Amino acid sequence: MTYDFLIIGSGISGALIARELSKYDVKTILLEKENDAANHATSANSAIIHSGYDPDPGSLKAKLNVEGNKLYDQLEKELDIPLFKNGAFMVAHDKDEEGLLERYLERAKTNGVPGVALLDQAEAKKLEPNLADSVTKVLNLPTTKVTYPWEVAIASIENAVDNGVLFEKNQTVEKIDKQDEYYVIKTAEGTTYQSRYVINAAGAYAEQIAKMVEKNVQYHITPRKGEYIVLDRRVQGFIKRTLYPTPDEKGKGVLMVPQFHGNILIGPNSELQSSLDDASTSKGGINVVKEGANRLAKNIPFHQTIRTFSGVRASSTHHDFYIKPSLEQPGFIHVAGIDSPGLTAAPAIAKYVVETLIIPQETLPINKHFNPRRQAIKLYDDMSLSERQEAFKADQRYGNLVCKCERITEGDIVRHIHRAVKGDSVKAIKKRARAGAGICQGGYCEHQIIKILAKELGKTPLEINYFAKGSNILKRETKVKS
Amino acid sequence: MKPYDIVIIGGGAAGLAALKGAYDKSLNICLIERDKTLGGILKQCIHNGFGLHHYNEELTGPEYAERGIEEVLGLNVDIFTDTTVVDVVKENGTFELMLMNTKKGEHRIKAISTIISSGCYERTRGAIQLPGDRPAGIMPAGSAQRHLNIDGYMVGKKVFILGSGDIGLIMARRMTLEGAEVLGVAELMPHSNGLTRNIVQCLHDFDIPLYLSHTISDIKGKSVLESITISEVDENFDYIEGTEKTFEVDTLLLSVGLIPDINMFDSLKFEVSKKTGGAIVDQTYQTSVEGLFACGNALHVHDLVDFVTEESTKAGQQAKAYILNNKKRSKNTLYVTPSSNISYILPQTLDMDDDFNEVVLSLRTTTNALTGKFHVYQGETLLFSEKAKFVVPAEMEKIKIKKEHLKHSGPISILFEVVSQ
Repeated sequence: MTYDFLIIGSGISGALIARELSKYDVKTILLEKENDAANHATSANSAIIHSGYDPDPGSLKAKLNVEGNKLYDQLEKELDIPLFKNGAFMVAHDKDEEGLLERYLERAKTNGVPGVALLDQAEAKKLEPNLADSVTKVLNLPTTKVTYPWEVAIASIENAVDNGVLFEKNQTVEKIDKQDEYYVIKTAEGTTYQSRYVINAAGAYAEQIAKMVEKNVQYHITPRKGEYIVLDRRVQGFIKRTLYPTPDEKGKGVLMVPQFHGNILIGPNSELQSSLDDASTSKGGINVVKEGANRLAKNIPFHQTIRTFSGVRASSTHHDFYIKPSLEQPGFIHVAGIDSPGLTAAPAIAKYVVETLIIPQETLPINKHFNPRRQAIKLYDDMSLSERQEAFKADQRYGNLVCKCERITEGDIVRHIHRAVKGDSVKAIKKRARAGAGICQGGYCEHQIIKILAKELGKTPLEINYFAKGSNILKRETKVKS
Repeated sequence: MKPYDIVIIGGGAAGLAALKGAYDKSLNICLIERDKTLGGILKQCIHNGFGLHHYNEELTGPEYAERGIEEVLGLNVDIFTDTTVVDVVKENGTFELMLMNTKKGEHRIKAISTIISSGCYERTRGAIQLPGDRPAGIMPAGSAQRHLNIDGYMVGKKVFILGSGDIGLIMARRMTLEGAEVLGVAELMPHSNGLTRNIVQCLHDFDIPLYLSHTISDIKGKSVLESITISEVDENFDYIEGTEKTFEVDTLLLSVGLIPDINMFDSLKFEVSKKTGGAIVDQTYQTSVEGLFACGNALHVHDLVDFVTEESTKAGQQAKAYILNNKKRSKNTLYVTPSSNISYILPQTLDMDDDFNEVVLSLRTTTNALTGKFHVYQGETLLFSEKAKFVVPAEMEKIKIKKEHLKHSGPISILFEVVSQ
């Protein structure tokens, strides 16, 4: 098949670029090497839509951060994505840090961040009573928001697919050749694609992809791992706002981030590593996270921890985002070095790639049938009483409570299996419907989810993967079944 | 709709016994079970060793469940299977339960009294913050037991087990018998957390090594589990460098603790013990919410199902007495608190206006002892001491207190003195 645009990587950047391109009458395909969209950094980050206080003024990060933050309000309406507008405090503990707050206040104003202000200890404590006693002053950042990063990516892909984009997963790009005006892209799985443009949104793997095309790649990916702790949603209300320390040379530091459904996410630490995909956690790393959090809030209910995880940020030696056309090969575009505030900037990155980098080179006809809207599937637990009654009337599977920790029914799960970007593994269902995301972490419902997946996908339970291809949970039958 | 006198939530060993205890021809009783059939977790415990205390014979889990089911089947009560309790509130002295099933969808019933017998769930990898990668092949031992014994699927060929809880030990044997190779069991504590008989019958008999004072220090595997590394730990549970041992396995089963499964009762806001994870109760198994009783593993995790049956029968009888005698909660409460070397005591309070001659306190120590002494105090006064032999944290101890012993309204505390180890 021949395409106009081929995007490598279905993380938040690739997903939103795909959607942006679907506004035009062009043939676009999005490739993902994993068994689900948004599986790496997009699934393992702080979930924050930053206000834009942090990036160096004048940088691409600063520009796209503030624009991206505003674009989320539009995405919320168009893609029906969860957006939790809870604001944030950056906290200071002494005169030096208070000085930093003043600097960030100025920088936030320079970057065009609305509503920022300094609050003294008493004012801050009135709003966040569990703030650590050592906090002396805070910078109030009211436009900071929280979202579900993978849901934004998946929603964007669904909307893009709805508008004509192709999405293929389990396709690992292995070789890219330029033949005349086309790139020929070969995958490890044996598929060949032809495309006029290649957009490299491969995250931590961006440099490897770039090396398939360029002799001298202009950046070097220096992966940074961040570990996180997740507290059960029963801690809801412990803090309302996201809490940040003052940033240091390693990044934004350990944060506490209240999530949409009440969980609190705590992290990350920040460690350079050579591996592109080592997302392991460590006792030392988790301890750093706990110590960091204790400087933000007091009496943190760590005993309510339900999970730890880590993510690999695709930082680069370029320090700013590296979003540029190839200096060597026309039609190859780098979207690389997307570390913080990558999630926030992503909608603006997509616009920048299409409107600033592509359109001046290429006349893109408008897609007259473009529909900007995607309707989220409402979970049973989020429905009103009358909606619940109606849902059950139409489908009795809404009466089967599968995940009792998060109150997810069979009706919910079935609908999330059959989404445009299929939820076809245990983890894909957890990402989409939150089944298994509670205190028992699937201990009670996993066997039921496997059976529902098997039934809906026309497979046997043995074929149902935990997440990646070949990660089936059940290995063999012990009895010959009649 | 007329409220039920008693609603029992959960139809496993505890719920069945509570139903038997609570039953009276004059009472309108209902039992709710989320699974298709009664019996609870007993149904997946196909090994024997159940019933030695309660039935004086050795039964398998399903046989034990069958006995309990037969005892209640003829009773004139409502039993709703395939029905889940989503939420329970108490309004104007009446419990209102929100239920869900595929027949009626969401619906409500009312009750004057409610018994929590909803069992427990398994502590997870996340809760104990196990380090390393997150591949497939890591699961709670009970989940693997369910896959194997109920659904007929093996989860792996080469297995390591973290935690020496009874389910882990039982699964070490079960996986071995089903053809898997179990390379070892690691236990963080310097002593086993399972019953002695399970250590002997499930590990020793199959030459499966038990690594005490060891835990998992690394897990490797991108999409599927490839290896785990264990390390010895010091007294602060920090890894001791140089003690690492790596095992190539495709399965890691976790048997790292059970926690009362009571989150569907959050709205009732009863007092919960940090130690047991279950409700704080008095000697009638009544929680801090009047008319709400708790028993079985939803109250605290038991060693043997026989003790669940014994306790839950009593809880049922107390709920019956509560309804029939129209009892009101008294304010005359005496606290029972653990002291040195005791992890918890149950019940945590005594209702002194209740008509009782003696009460049996169940308790666990925090340490092993070949011989030792329990000292029971009221306030500063030593009431009595009792010798004990072969005390281990995994096995519950029992101490009787007579009402006549209690001299005043001061709190009771119990400490355990280790005489020899």
